[in-house]
Amino acid sequence: MREKATTLYIGPQHPGITGNMMVRVKVEGDTIVKATTEVGYLHRAFEKLQEKRNWLQSFTLMCRFCVPETDPMEELYARAVEAIEGREVPERAKYIRVMVLELARLASFMLWYGGQNGSLGLYTMGQWSVGDRNYILDLFEELTGGRVYHMYIWPGGVRRDLPKGFEKRVLKTMDYLEKRLDDYDDLMFDNAIFKKRTQGVGIVDKDKAIEHGVVGAVLRGCGIKSDIRIDEPYEVYDKLDFIVPTQEGADIWARALVRRQEARQSIRIIRQVIDMMPGGPVYNKIPNPQKWRLPKGDAYVRVESVRGEVGLYAVSDGGLKPRRIHVRGAAYVHAITLLEDVLVGENIADVSAIMNSLGTCPPEIER
Amino acid sequence: MSFFDLKGTLKPLTALKQFGKKPHTISYPKEKTEAAERYRGFHYNDLEECIGCGNCSTICQNKAIDMIKVEGIEGEKGDSGLRPRVDNGRCCWCALCVEVCPTGSLSLTRDYLYVSDDADTFLFVPGVDNPEGKNNLSFITDKEQSLNVFNRVPMPELEGMERVKSFAEVVLGYNEEMAREEASRCISCGLCTEVCPDHMHIPEYINAIATGNDEDAVRIIYDNNPLPEMCGKVCTRRCEDVCAIAVRGEPVAIRWLKRYATETAKTADITMEIVNPEIKEPNGYKVSIVGAGPSGLTAAYYLALRGYDVTIYEANAKAGGMTMYGIPKYRFPIDSLDKQIEYIEKIGVKIKYNTKVGKDISFEKLYKESDAVFIGVGFPQPWTLGIEGEDAKGSMQAVNFLHMVNSGEKVDIGKKVAVIGGGNVAIDAARVSARLGAEVTILYRRRVQDMPADWEEIEGAEEEGIKIVPQAIPVKIHEENGKVKAIEYQLAEMVPDEKGGRPRPVAIEGSNTIMEVDSVMGAIGQQGDYSFLEGEFAEKIQVERGRFKVNENQQTTDPKVYAGGDAVNRTADAISAIADGFRACKAIDAALAGKK
Amino acid sequence: MENIKADLISKIKSTFENVTEKDHDGNRLDFYVNKKIIPSILTHFKVNEGFIHLSHISCVDWLEEGEFEIIYILWSPKDKIKVFVRTRVERENPVMPNIDMIWRQANTYEREMREMFGIEFEGLVGEKEFVLEDWEGMPPMRRDFDTEAYADETFWHRPGREDAMDVREAIIERSREEIPDFAKKYSR
Repeated sequence: MREKATTLYIGPQHPGITGNMMVRVKVEGDTIVKATTEVGYLHRAFEKLQEKRNWLQSFTLMCRFCVPETDPMEELYARAVEAIEGREVPERAKYIRVMVLELARLASFMLWYGGQNGSLGLYTMGQWSVGDRNYILDLFEELTGGRVYHMYIWPGGVRRDLPKGFEKRVLKTMDYLEKRLDDYDDLMFDNAIFKKRTQGVGIVDKDKAIEHGVVGAVLRGCGIKSDIRIDEPYEVYDKLDFIVPTQEGADIWARALVRRQEARQSIRIIRQVIDMMPGGPVYNKIPNPQKWRLPKGDAYVRVESVRGEVGLYAVSDGGLKPRRIHVRGAAYVHAITLLEDVLVGENIADVSAIMNSLGTCPPEIER
Repeated sequence: MSFFDLKGTLKPLTALKQFGKKPHTISYPKEKTEAAERYRGFHYNDLEECIGCGNCSTICQNKAIDMIKVEGIEGEKGDSGLRPRVDNGRCCWCALCVEVCPTGSLSLTRDYLYVSDDADTFLFVPGVDNPEGKNNLSFITDKEQSLNVFNRVPMPELEGMERVKSFAEVVLGYNEEMAREEASRCISCGLCTEVCPDHMHIPEYINAIATGNDEDAVRIIYDNNPLPEMCGKVCTRRCEDVCAIAVRGEPVAIRWLKRYATETAKTADITMEIVNPEIKEPNGYKVSIVGAGPSGLTAAYYLALRGYDVTIYEANAKAGGMTMYGIPKYRFPIDSLDKQIEYIEKIGVKIKYNTKVGKDISFEKLYKESDAVFIGVGFPQPWTLGIEGEDAKGSMQAVNFLHMVNSGEKVDIGKKVAVIGGGNVAIDAARVSARLGAEVTILYRRRVQDMPADWEEIEGAEEEGIKIVPQAIPVKIHEENGKVKAIEYQLAEMVPDEKGGRPRPVAIEGSNTIMEVDSVMGAIGQQGDYSFLEGEFAEKIQVERGRFKVNENQQTTDPKVYAGGDAVNRTADAISAIADGFRACKAIDAALAGKK
Repeated sequence: MENIKADLISKIKSTFENVTEKDHDGNRLDFYVNKKIIPSILTHFKVNEGFIHLSHISCVDWLEEGEFEIIYILWSPKDKIKVFVRTRVERENPVMPNIDMIWRQANTYEREMREMFGIEFEGLVGEKEFVLEDWEGMPPMRRDFDTEAYADETFWHRPGREDAMDVREAIIERSREEIPDFAKKYSR
């Protein structure tokens, strides 16, 4: 007997701790036969606003593109401007940037731990990891003056040098977090419920990955070793020693394992960076921002965020303001065409788990 | 995986061990946590330091900052009198306003808590609404961190000892790249325009230079100054004193930028082409101008543009007044001046050279033939020192000396020269003497820091090997066979003035020193010469304390006669004279246009 | 790297007509092509040259030139080179070939460009509305769409800030400076 199809609306209120978006699913029983992503709840037209702001003012908008992980966006903008202008960045600033980027990745992993488990109804993990994330935010507050929106990495370097004794406090937090990651393993990766709900669910295999332009942990979860930090090393990643983990499973479980290892790699990178950090200035000063012109040209730069490759295409027409800023978010590729494809044949209950696993971030999609 | 996963069921239970641990949440009763030392909270503004330039308001990408009038703060020179007000409903605490504040008065504090259900109360005037913020500053910007560019692009100059070999221009001028870079330092606040006597449109032309539109810059400059190249080289540039960047750094080189812009128009023809001024049809009115100095030339230029028939009567062979005969050519080359006079003549201004009013033509005739007369005769008469031996050969007045040198005459000053005075004329005379091969000493009554001359000029003189003897009062010129042989001076000590004025020099008895010299030049000031006003005019046109009495329109006590320049104002600089000329032009135009 | 780039240039130029290239520093290489060959050249890059990853598609509105520029950024994980395939299309009734059969995610980019710039893609399947809702005006990412004017028309300003003054104007008023109109565009 064929069941009658029904349409369900999942969202737009934060389906699975990702941000406001909606997935419209047609279900037969509780099996999805068609899924459509609907976005538009977080559109703030940053790219358009940036065309009306000068090159320095635009920088303050960058961090708002993706709330869980703000620093990669600042990094992108800074690097794009530096590429167009040919501006040098002091060595120390590069190390600080890497430290900040990895701290941001860690903070974002913490949110993901909470989101991935929360979407499966395992709420303790979220309490822990989001609580522990606060220790990273404390570091950010001390370093940048802001907890979430840092506005710290800017063209030419970083805004301020490290406060006195900051490195020690970072290392202390790293030691703490490393121990906590073991606790997380007990609660999450050794958890029968988590395994059952994630293994074999939300499969993105190699062919599908190539077809959809998949990036980041999702790509590594299906066995393809790809990481911008290795493929196109920026800042000082080429001097650092870290592992890019891969898994063959291609399901939520495999992607979770990849992220689990990556979080530990981030701690490893932060320790190396602090150990290797040279002295010197942190900022190659830009001219008077009101009259700061960039030469004609364009640049496309990429960084590896927790969600995967994030790119920024910037165009200068030789004026005071950007001609075009265009952000390519990892979620832009994952959360629309790929999500719509992957959801077919899955259960309603797995929708938010899959969304989380694909690194959905609506503010990054709509910008 | 088996259906029943024993390990996977038991392992999560290890979370129970957390019960024994200290909680991570904030304990109850709640402890107050301090924000980080760099926290970006509410703004604080040091109202005394703030000059109201509005740079914070300009950089704010949220339009959260308004500049408003604040009770008890009046605008003055170098302070717009406005202060920032922050709409905390719009602010995103990016702190760019702090990064661009030229004075460093604006900072962020560690306060961040404010709760109200009335959104109108989110408007804070930093510093007024939170005076206690001063003790809680967090995000501040020092000179190193500030995004203002505090260092000027250095001006290329001739080497000190190279200069004295000739009258070649000392300052070489910015090239295009330097000018763009220097112009880019400007924050366009416009505080400078208020102190400029002529209110030139400084931020506008600097911005035009910064954007690479030199021609527009020239056009803007010629809007109210027909002698900009002169100003670009020798202006007293009071604008630079109040430059917002100068609070913590070197002021924007406004004068050099003007010079750069005007020098891009290399000849009078090119200037004409670029400025392309609108010259009105002749309106039939006739205006006569006495003296082709800066004020007369300015009045003439703008009146000619407005369709007046303008004639200037000049006693000397060349126009320019003091800028021609007083300023040495290494500061202001003759080509530069000629170019500007040629341009002014192209507009239709007639200049009658070698025609001294009162001698070659009577003032009465001018007065009767013209619909208005403008007097810009300046201060041609030098004060004498009033000491013994002043009549000896070799004793002269610095102004006369400069006049002769600038006219191309040969002057015998011997090998050793003493210049008395501390103003620009004294320094000019000293530096010219050095170029003529003399060993020069400047004697000044007060301290070096009291000298009214430009510090750049004083430095330039020192670089060229000129000796300055401060606190030296000349008492006698010794002569031999009717020629100067030596100068005798007394050293002075500075005595504080009881009335609160600047300290006075008082000679120290018995400190007399005799210095052998071949020439002595007095440069202690000049005065007017109004002998050309004969008969009834001497009464009708009133003179007060050596200067013409004028109203705010430069009109003298005779309504048909206007006056400007040194013979009117005390500032004794060219830009004030230009301003006078421009004002007089507008007043004459208004008065005569009203008649029609 | 340079050899790979030179090799790639010669291969592309021998396969396709009217292709110009520009070599940039580092691992970037730009190709300027006609929009007609976009699907075939992208397929060629993906299938024959190892550029399996479509990293980005961007659109720039060159209002003054009356054209949109569409930029496809490809990445070769094998050679670690990024290639920009750039093409131009008229601003009036712009139509572009669809490429979402080569890379599925291009569908999202094309939907966005259709909505934000008003560019049609031949045979594009996907919901008309992407980010915007019930939008009827000019596609908002076009340069001639004035965001500020739109905001002023659509929303209201909270009262209480009318006493704001402009520093330059305050000074002009105080010193009675007369500033000519042509100079005003240089005021801040």
